[in-house]
Amino acid sequence: MKSKGNTPEISLEDQLKRLEEISMLLDRGELPLDEQLKIFEEGMKLAQVCREYLDQAKLVVERLGGDSH
Amino acid sequence: MQEEPLSVSQLTQSIKSAVESGIGDVCVVGEISNFKHHTSGHRYFTLKDASSQISCTMWRSRTLSFRPEDGMRVVAQGKVTVYAAQGKYQLECAFMQPEGVGDLYVAFERLKAELAQQGYFDVSRKKALPTMPMRIGIATSQTGAAIRDMLTTLERRFPVVSVVFRQTLVQGDGAAHDIASAIHELDAANVDLIIVGRGGGSIEDLWAFNTREVADAMYNCNTPVISAVGHETDVTIADFVADLRAATPTAAAELATPTVASDILYGIDITTDRIVARLRDTLHELTEMAESFADGRAMRRLQERIAMRLTRLEDMRTRFTRSMLVSIQKRESATEHLRSRCQTLHPMAPLARGYAVVEKNGLPLPMHGHLQPGDIVQVRRNSEISTVEVQSIDPLPESK
Repeated sequence: MKSKGNTPEISLEDQLKRLEEISMLLDRGELPLDEQLKIFEEGMKLAQVCREYLDQAKLVVERLGGDSH
Repeated sequence: MQEEPLSVSQLTQSIKSAVESGIGDVCVVGEISNFKHHTSGHRYFTLKDASSQISCTMWRSRTLSFRPEDGMRVVAQGKVTVYAAQGKYQLECAFMQPEGVGDLYVAFERLKAELAQQGYFDVSRKKALPTMPMRIGIATSQTGAAIRDMLTTLERRFPVVSVVFRQTLVQGDGAAHDIASAIHELDAANVDLIIVGRGGGSIEDLWAFNTREVADAMYNCNTPVISAVGHETDVTIADFVADLRAATPTAAAELATPTVASDILYGIDITTDRIVARLRDTLHELTEMAESFADGRAMRRLQERIAMRLTRLEDMRTRFTRSMLVSIQKRESATEHLRSRCQTLHPMAPLARGYAVVEKNGLPLPMHGHLQPGDIVQVRRNSEISTVEVQSIDPLPESK
């Protein structure tokens, strides 16, 4: 039933949650610097993917056939 | 032929079954008299006309939408029963309305009372709506403003969604059945929520939404349903059964998308800004730590460590995709900022703040090895170099 070409493999909601999590981890600053750099990179990529997805989104309307028409 | 005499109970039982199966459900018009609302919640009264009267009960479990008074003319619906203990027959009312209200109104109130009693409107069974629906089912007419208003609103607020549109009849013969089928089909179409509705109209136009069939379809639907029938003032049975009632189709589309795309984009910008700022702060802190050391050796060690990390940051930067770089440059060139930070770590930078560097033969002193008395060294300051001779050497205690 997945019909939308631009639907990301991970749901938008989950991606945004991960981004928020990365931001929190960096805020705490408890991770080793290497790790911080790694999730920084992940976060920036994630932000870019989500931003492009939202910018390019177009409402898709599919029809479900009724039998009485 | 004389038969065996019946007991009173046997006779009463025959009368009871004759009355209850022979008359059964009836609808009676009459005038209320002697109305008593017992503390138990049950109501007892008499319905009468010019020449007859009948005792009536209406149990506590039945809802009344008006306050009955003696002398009021009403239409009561119920069944005739026999109360054996007193040898009386009575009308057990299930539903009652003042006479003179329209048939549709009566039917509406009757169905509403019935469904309320069966738990169709219970708050406990209302389903929560998803905060970020990706597939929204819509059942409404193909023509008319409702579908247009909903699509426009969804496009404006959250164009990420897919709409599954099942056009339906919304008035006239077959509308109730068609709407019920549409709800079933959408329920099976893997959507996150369903909007059922139509634009405004007369009570007759909206009637399909006041039917048992539509109420049942909504009640049995596993997907959350928003009803959006008519204007703000129109209230239908469907509105009571739905998990959420929207005043208009536009309002339904708004309620269906509590999260708006532009808000998410704004949130992403805020978050990325914070991420970049946070990392910059971390490296900034390291830089300041280094600058706070006056001891040349400790400072050099720290410089090396920071340089290593900055190199890794550079490595990471080169691994970024093109879009990543564009994004970084957009955010006030965060990486450039880091690079300029790096320049303040140049070994000669402290000279600007009054420190001096000791060199021998134009080269920095090696990490290991000691100076000897009599060595000639150069002391480099910000704007001059002095040549000096070492007089004596006193080792410092080893510092970490």
